[in-house]
Amino acid sequence: MNALKWIGFALRNTLRNRRRSLATVTLTALGSAAILIGGGFALYTYESLQQAAARDTGHLIVATKDFFDREEDTPMQFGIEHFDKLRDTLLANREVRYVLPRLNFSGLISNGDKSVVMIGSGVDPQAEFSVRGPFLTLKSGQLLNEDSAKGPDVLIGAELAKSLKVEPGSALTLLGSTTAGALNAIDVKVRGIVSSGVPDIDKRLVLTSLATAQGLLVTDKVSSVGVYLADMELTAATRAKLAPQLGALATRTWEEEAFFYKAVRGLYDRIFGGLGLVIGLIVVGVVAGAMAMAIVERTREIGTLRAMGTSPGQLVRAFAIEGAALGASGGLLGALVAGGVSIALVFANLQMPPPPGRSVGYPLYVSFSPELALITLAAVSLLAMISAAVVARIAVKKPIVEALGHV
Amino acid sequence: MNTALRDNAPVVAMRGVSKSYRLGAVLVSALHAADVAVSRGEMVALTGPSGSGKSTLLHIAGLIDTADSGNYLLAGTATTQLDEARRTQLRRNAIGFIFQSFNLVPVMTVAENVEYPLFLDGISSSEARERVAAMLARVGLADRAKHRPDELSGGQRQRVAIARALVKQPRLLIADEPTANLDSHTADEVIAVIRELCHEAGTACLIATHDARLTAHCDRVLALRDGVLQ
Repeated sequence: MNALKWIGFALRNTLRNRRRSLATVTLTALGSAAILIGGGFALYTYESLQQAAARDTGHLIVATKDFFDREEDTPMQFGIEHFDKLRDTLLANREVRYVLPRLNFSGLISNGDKSVVMIGSGVDPQAEFSVRGPFLTLKSGQLLNEDSAKGPDVLIGAELAKSLKVEPGSALTLLGSTTAGALNAIDVKVRGIVSSGVPDIDKRLVLTSLATAQGLLVTDKVSSVGVYLADMELTAATRAKLAPQLGALATRTWEEEAFFYKAVRGLYDRIFGGLGLVIGLIVVGVVAGAMAMAIVERTREIGTLRAMGTSPGQLVRAFAIEGAALGASGGLLGALVAGGVSIALVFANLQMPPPPGRSVGYPLYVSFSPELALITLAAVSLLAMISAAVVARIAVKKPIVEALGHV
Repeated sequence: MNTALRDNAPVVAMRGVSKSYRLGAVLVSALHAADVAVSRGEMVALTGPSGSGKSTLLHIAGLIDTADSGNYLLAGTATTQLDEARRTQLRRNAIGFIFQSFNLVPVMTVAENVEYPLFLDGISSSEARERVAAMLARVGLADRAKHRPDELSGGQRQRVAIARALVKQPRLLIADEPTANLDSHTADEVIAVIRELCHEAGTACLIATHDARLTAHCDRVLALRDGVLQ
């Protein structure tokens, strides 16, 4: 009951100088909103990059252990045999939605007059493009289909198409090394021109059917297998579940292979962590300043309460509650502002310019995370409470006679 | 700590209490070897010109300041060696204060201001409510319980301050110029209330005042000049 009374008195004290309290709450709210909007932008970026990475590789990548750890001496040295059997084993698990083979190859691609380096991938011509979603854009022509092996057809990156001056329907030749180390060449037809959004990749990108790639390398192996799950959250559990079913094969998660995602996350964590730290310091300064003014104004009242037998600790706690109330109000208001901004951006359809190394921009969204909002609210309230308590601790030690004589 | 007090023992027993302040390089004697005794239910006025040491004596008696030398027994408790926590506890339990400027807490209602000392003492809400209602009735402010101090006149505020000081029935009431900010009619009312409540509860009163009407109602008058009791 006593605690409730102290809280009640403290809350009423915050309303004594409404203009100052409003300014404190507003500044705290702006700080909290900045943390939540900045953090929400980072979260949205993380989510997008997670999706891009997982859609590119699969939630789990299955390959031989050497494929992950060593460099091959000849193409497909560390490839997986009997992919069909492996696919059946993996699809028997209800968490697994797609099992997609990947055959990585490199070599030259030529239009007859000009040959350039290519980095290719043989894929499942149907399922591959449904899992890639928005992270592979068809610029012209058509995607691969079940008949693509007959053409045989390829998709090539937009920059590569520009370099070779080709368009859908054009004929090209792929040159590569077979698994035996011999040179091999096959004639292909351009079915479509695609963009990954990264010009450096689009300059070398070739996608073809698995059968075409296997024909070029003269192999029936695949380099690796992408396992797509019903839910990204199941990645770790499914990896553990699949391990005994895979024999000598190894697995990696999408995150272990997502070097760009990890680099961006490391960078953003530092940037937004630093921003949060600076804003936290500003909140401390704002609340400490407001409380210092309030305490100076109430010096005589502090003296009166001390004379009546209120302990310094009780007064410090009362001021700390005031600080926490101001911080919590600012934190709540900030969360509402951030939530509003998050919703407004969904409808505003604002585009960000392309990031460095990319050719396309992306929509500006800010994720609203209830967890981040709660952590921010708790942190801002705690910081405000501590700063108020520190200021009050100095003030309540003033001699009572001096405090009573304060004008 | 022995807070029990024999009926005939003084509530305030000061012996040779002195206090000096340093003003720059000069040491000013604010109170010199004061011997003061105030018994249960006794009203003692402290008079003297400004700077004579009235406030210093009141502050030491109210345990909000310490003496440089001498002994002070409050309700049988030797106070000289008490640490700040024990002095705070003794003020909370045994002393009520009335200030010249009322010093009510503006965010609290009249009833909450009066209840505050009981709240500090940890008295239950139901008992506190009863005692507050009874005290407000005694000072004629029962109908103002829910008002804020800034909605009251000066006389009403001082009556709230009296109720706040006396609601816990302290051993000692310290009043610093309680009628200085009041008109003569209101001052008479306030004096009557203080006198009545203190006599009823057996509270010893030490009142600093320039008001001749107030000294006329006191049992004894102590005159101070240049820090020395005359």
